[in-house]
Amino acid sequence: MIDIVEVTKRYGPKVAVQDLSLHVPAGELFAFLGPNGAGKTTTIKMLCGLLFPSSGTVSVGGFDLAARGDQARALIAYVPDQPFLYEKLTGREFLQFTADLYALPPDRARDKIAEVIDLFHLDEFVDDLTERYSHGMRQRTVFAAALVHDPRLLIADEPTVGLDPKSIRELKTLLRKLASGGMTIFLSTHTLDIAEELADRIGIIDRGRLIGCGTMDDLRRQASRDGTLEDLFMAITEEAAAEAAVTAEAKP
Amino acid sequence: MGVSLPPVADQPRVFRRLRVGLARNGLRVALESGRLRFLSMIATSLVVAAFTGAVSWYLFRQLAVNNIPFKGAIVGGLFDLLFFTLGGMLVFSTGIILYASLYTAPEARYLLTTPARADHIFATKFQGAVAFSSWAFVVLGVPIFLAYGLTAGVPWYFYALLPVFLLGYVLLPGSVSAALCLLLVRYMPRNRRQFLLLVTLAAVLLAGVWLARVGMSIRKSIQTQGRELDDLIGQFDLVRSGLAPSHWMTRGVLAAARGDLPGAALPLALVWSNGLLVYVGAAALARRLYRPGFDRMSGLGRGKKLYGTSPLDRAMEFLVGYLDRPTRVLVVKDFRTFRRDPTQWGLLILFGVLMLIGASNFRGIYQGGFAVMDRYAISLMNLCGTAVLLCAGLSRFIYPLISLEGRKFWILGLTPVSRDQILWGKFAFAATGSLLIAEGLILFTDLLIGLPPEGLAIHALTLAVVALGLSGLNVGLGACLPNFKETDPSKIVVGFGGTVNMVAGLGFVVVVIALMVVPFHAAQLARGASNRPDAAVSPWVFAGLPVGLVLGAAAVVLPLRAGARSLRAVEF
Repeated sequence: MIDIVEVTKRYGPKVAVQDLSLHVPAGELFAFLGPNGAGKTTTIKMLCGLLFPSSGTVSVGGFDLAARGDQARALIAYVPDQPFLYEKLTGREFLQFTADLYALPPDRARDKIAEVIDLFHLDEFVDDLTERYSHGMRQRTVFAAALVHDPRLLIADEPTVGLDPKSIRELKTLLRKLASGGMTIFLSTHTLDIAEELADRIGIIDRGRLIGCGTMDDLRRQASRDGTLEDLFMAITEEAAAEAAVTAEAKP
Repeated sequence: MGVSLPPVADQPRVFRRLRVGLARNGLRVALESGRLRFLSMIATSLVVAAFTGAVSWYLFRQLAVNNIPFKGAIVGGLFDLLFFTLGGMLVFSTGIILYASLYTAPEARYLLTTPARADHIFATKFQGAVAFSSWAFVVLGVPIFLAYGLTAGVPWYFYALLPVFLLGYVLLPGSVSAALCLLLVRYMPRNRRQFLLLVTLAAVLLAGVWLARVGMSIRKSIQTQGRELDDLIGQFDLVRSGLAPSHWMTRGVLAAARGDLPGAALPLALVWSNGLLVYVGAAALARRLYRPGFDRMSGLGRGKKLYGTSPLDRAMEFLVGYLDRPTRVLVVKDFRTFRRDPTQWGLLILFGVLMLIGASNFRGIYQGGFAVMDRYAISLMNLCGTAVLLCAGLSRFIYPLISLEGRKFWILGLTPVSRDQILWGKFAFAATGSLLIAEGLILFTDLLIGLPPEGLAIHALTLAVVALGLSGLNVGLGACLPNFKETDPSKIVVGFGGTVNMVAGLGFVVVVIALMVVPFHAAQLARGASNRPDAAVSPWVFAGLPVGLVLGAAAVVLPLRAGARSLRAVEF
């Protein structure tokens, strides 16, 4: 579903992502980890078509986001860490707008809206203007809108921030269920236990480079040690940092 | 081979529904919760429109008194200039609004991640930007033409055609501005600051040269008592050219006024067809350039910038040296935040420069032999302008300061600074800055105009009272009516508290000026009009000064005391 091929993204002189290649098949739940400023958000923005690679290609469902972005984005739903809602729309109106934008037929839209309202327990506030929502309510509404059109790829950036423990539990169950149903999920998070618990594969990015990618067993082999994802993450990122320091010193 | 795609939505219809929904809900909320704000906006617009209409009606009546033809070349020249000016304003205002809504708004970031086509996003944002920026066009333009219609005796279809003309004219500058905005963002050199500086310098230079030439022409026509107007008229050749859309508008409106329908139809068709053509061009540009422009914009300004202390910070600390050290630190913190945000002080500088240009032009005119009594009228206008600028500036920048501390109040709460000190720090910051700006502007412009010392002293005293009083009102009411939930200062300003503060500030300014300055100027104008320049001025002219001082003291003490009480009681 996702094909990132030799992608480099520069912001002026700064290289945010370097030579990134990644393939995520349909139905996989992929967790994307990395320290702050590692290039996670830039990668996600390229996947959504918000940014374009300086070199290389990013494709979703076989559609190159630079050349056929509108088609690729029709397959994607994106849940950002700072959820956007129209302040002067109600939650229900926002869901309807999303359904309209993705061309859901009226009957199907009505059923799907009812389904996601039930799924995310929005019924108590869905007819209030979103300007009155708390962060958690906004996050749940944005998630509901993301799923209203049955996307093939769900990209979520820190999806659990602002959610209460019960909502987090429900979200984790839902994400696993969606992946089992064939939806590809690209999850960026700092919460390592969620990644460890949910992900089929995990990618670790640091200083714009993918320094580790695979299942927990693959990462254990790469780190040459056993332990939790936290242990492996620390080992792999520290090793990469040491290598980067050596490379920097070797440069004239 | 890609996976199968879902059907494509009728996006223009979807966005139309979105806009209708947003407008309907926004209006409902405005009527339910912000009725005072909503009504004050409508009332202000109506007052401005009525004032513009009344002044225009009076001026058009003067044409009749002086037997100047209503549908001839002089009125045509005035309309050319009016449309050109309004068109220029629309280019700038639409461009700025469109830039913000296409490239920096969270909504744009959201829509760009959806299958919404770039040109459809552009179209919906363009309509919003044009509607927003043409508000002033409607409020100022419509009453002028209604006044013209009433005095010139035009056929009924002049009024029917007027909105069609104005609507078409809004489209053209808006589309030009949109195309420029898209091109600029996409192809602007990487060194943005240097490029913008160069463009601004070039624009200022061109405007300066043109203004100087206009000034010289005005002086020449004054010296020849209006006999040599060719030079002056020649300065406006551009706006009168057959290729200028402003001239199409003038031709069409005047033809409608004369009852020449076919003569009005051609310019109207020109305005609309060109407007639509440029709009379609801008939309086509948006389809190609909007997303790459957004990508490019995201990559700009990521260079590492080191911020340190500045001599300005040290100057501010010196100016508030009478305060204790912790309060001084708070004042410098507020000042530093202010000076690092160009949008905060850009408008102040712009207004200040315009006032100085105006004053220096008036000075030039005096040398051409204008009546001395006019200097009192002009200096009073300058003083009123400075006071209103202070009122607007302090309402925008000082009133929200306490509200903005709300979310991070724990930082201040943990420091050894009392809440009263925080309040006094804000007052000291506001009073120091506003005193410097107001006194600097008024003294400089009054000296340029050549106001006598007693006028200068009264102006300086009045503006000191206005600056201190407004500072007290803004800080005090900001603490009494805070909005700790909002993080956007512009939204705090237009809320209930902000509206009350603005109305109170304007009321204060009007009363203080009426008490302290107007009697003096009225006496001077009366003296000039009676041709007895040596007549003594009655001491009653100065009777309002002590009352103004008491009012100023009350405007400082009472709101600050109430604000301190309120702030002490707030739980964060």
